[in-house]
Amino acid sequence: MKKTILIISPLLVICAFAISTLFSQNKHQGLNETVDKLNRNVVVSGKKDDPLTEKISCKTCHVTEYPTRKDPGLRSCPRDKMLSGFPSSKTGPDVVVINEMSENYSGVRFSHGLHSQMSEMSLGCVDCHHYNISTEEILKCSDCHNKNRSREEVSVPDLKSAFHRQCMMCHKQWSHDNGCNSQCHVRKGQENNLVQKDFTGKIHPKQKEPEKMIWETNYEKGKIVTFFHDEHIQLFKINCKSCHGNDKCVKCHDKPLQPTDYSKPIHRKKSFEEHHMPCLNCHKSENCQKCHRDQEMTPFNHGKSTGWILKSYHSQLACEKCHGGQMPVKKIDRNCSSCHKNFLPGKFEHKKTGFVLSETHKDMECKSCHANNDFAKNPDCKECHDDKSFPSQLPGKRK
Amino acid sequence: MKNQNRRDFLKTAAGIGASIGIAGSVKPAKASEKTLSDDRFGILVDTDVCVGCRHCEWACRVAHNIPTPDLDTYSDNSVFKEYRRTDASSLTVVNEFENEKNSAMPVHVKTQCMHCEHPACVSACIVGAFSKLEDGSVVWDGDKCIGCRYCMVACPFQIPTYDYDRSIDPQIRKCDLCFEKRKTEKLPACVNICPNEALLFGKRDDIVRIAKSRIKRKYDVYIDHIYGEKEIGGTSWMYIAGKDFEKLKLPKLNYSPAPGISESIQHGIFAYFVPPVTLYALLGTIMWITRKKKGDDSEIKDETNQDKKGGAL
Ligand code: SF4
Ligand code: SF4
Repeated sequence: MKKTILIISPLLVICAFAISTLFSQNKHQGLNETVDKLNRNVVVSGKKDDPLTEKISCKTCHVTEYPTRKDPGLRSCPRDKMLSGFPSSKTGPDVVVINEMSENYSGVRFSHGLHSQMSEMSLGCVDCHHYNISTEEILKCSDCHNKNRSREEVSVPDLKSAFHRQCMMCHKQWSHDNGCNSQCHVRKGQENNLVQKDFTGKIHPKQKEPEKMIWETNYEKGKIVTFFHDEHIQLFKINCKSCHGNDKCVKCHDKPLQPTDYSKPIHRKKSFEEHHMPCLNCHKSENCQKCHRDQEMTPFNHGKSTGWILKSYHSQLACEKCHGGQMPVKKIDRNCSSCHKNFLPGKFEHKKTGFVLSETHKDMECKSCHANNDFAKNPDCKECHDDKSFPSQLPGKRK
Repeated sequence: MKNQNRRDFLKTAAGIGASIGIAGSVKPAKASEKTLSDDRFGILVDTDVCVGCRHCEWACRVAHNIPTPDLDTYSDNSVFKEYRRTDASSLTVVNEFENEKNSAMPVHVKTQCMHCEHPACVSACIVGAFSKLEDGSVVWDGDKCIGCRYCMVACPFQIPTYDYDRSIDPQIRKCDLCFEKRKTEKLPACVNICPNEALLFGKRDDIVRIAKSRIKRKYDVYIDHIYGEKEIGGTSWMYIAGKDFEKLKLPKLNYSPAPGISESIQHGIFAYFVPPVTLYALLGTIMWITRKKKGDDSEIKDETNQDKKGGAL
């Protein structure tokens, strides 16, 4: 009896096991199919999967419980279209105390004045006050960011993380640590031991702007790139943030505050695009040698670059007078009448150019002397006079 | 108490063995696979947002009654010098990886049990000590565990750890998603403390959608892949990152559920006609030797013998 049991029991076990394995495999297959179906569903329905048509709760925009067409009860949320510019950094509060959610740490005294002044070196107020570019009303962070981490709609960061993300993305790079105590917070119960630094009334020293910058690159056909920083600001009136919008403090402050393991200089690898984009935004050119030269470039010269030398009157003008205020600049042709709408035959007072036409020439068409109405070239006398040439013989006199 | 439970368990196991003999059908003792709820949770680890403060490690220890130094000591960056794994006293760990794009912003990756959608540990566990709950969490029942450590072998992320320090009643330990705590407080301890909400807790469907939208919005930051969305049939914890996941030590895995792995081990045994009993007899002997140290010979012998049957199911 005992023997039979001994022989049968392992066999039974094996059989049972084989069946169980088969069974469980089938079951997984079934599960797989369901999961597959679920996944397909997500793709097919499109909308659900499209992050841009992401569902947001009604309460994100409507403050009232029952919004109607007449009274939608919309939260004030000035989007890009309504923007009318920020107040100056000097008009905001100097210090803001943030202590809405302190748990392990006490609240933070945020030096708003100093930070807003510093933000002018980068993106400006919008860097923190996103979606809130308005002079009318500055929204509180908590108007959109929920104080409650456990919430229905999690696609908008909660308030605690909204604050931390704004601060830490810079501060971590700058100080190379995550110490809550060392930067902003004071641990509860230790308030007496640590005195938080007071930044009231402090400002960042003024930055000296470079005149020109020269890079040595490894581009074979032209190693030297010259960039005239002063021209871009004074002449072309480029906004700082169009190039420096992504700059963080570490761009200059790249030395760790304390000697830590992170004492190596910061290495930021920029991709090809990142390197070239600031220039390519305006200088839409496929020709690398436009910037990459064998030697240093000379400052911008209207005559050299465009073939149109700016003389007396035109050299006094700001670029945007002719080329418009937008970057990249509007190209214009050489027809005087393109800008000077009143420069028409019969109406144009030639003496404005500093040259008074003689009586015989006064009533002639412009193109009789200025071939093809090209006023950049010298007038051509040969059309009418075999024996006259410009400028040895003049059809009038200089003023 | 423990022994009492054990006997109860063995009785069930033997009972099941017998019923198989009669009915010829199988009702494995392992965790019943409940249908996963549509509202089951998911957690997104956004490595671009994580700053590596390790507060989650601290909160995890506090929540699981594991002794821990003061929170302030966690700001010490020197721990990042070596790659760390989860162990019996650290159910979650944060590791640091180089960021080639900006060395001042290293990438931090929190690891813990992934709470797989089709957990290999659950399939591997021969006594049903592991179970996958409807809400998505994978939990472990110490009373059922026989300490065979199959789960440790089966887990593709090498997560379950064995508490070797406790000679009496050793425990398998892994993240349980604060299963007990969540009955009263809604969030797991790590999610609750994270200053940056780098750990986003919500319905799995929502989490996947949000992850996709983040990738789309910051296409220059993230790789277009959600780690864990499909890996081994999907996991509850999912990751988005700007760096190759393998370089962040998240293993490259198939999209098909992992239980296949543990099952194929067992299939292999069949293929070469090695009766599983031999294997369990071997395991049993090992257990018997370890148990013998505690000096309860007669009972253990009896139990190991029955383990053979119960175990093979
Ligand atoms: S990660 Fe490992 S321990 Fe966690 S559920 Fe998956 S297989 Fe089980
Ligand atoms: S608490 Fe959050 S930010 Fe800090 S290490 Fe953990 S996941 Fe990262």
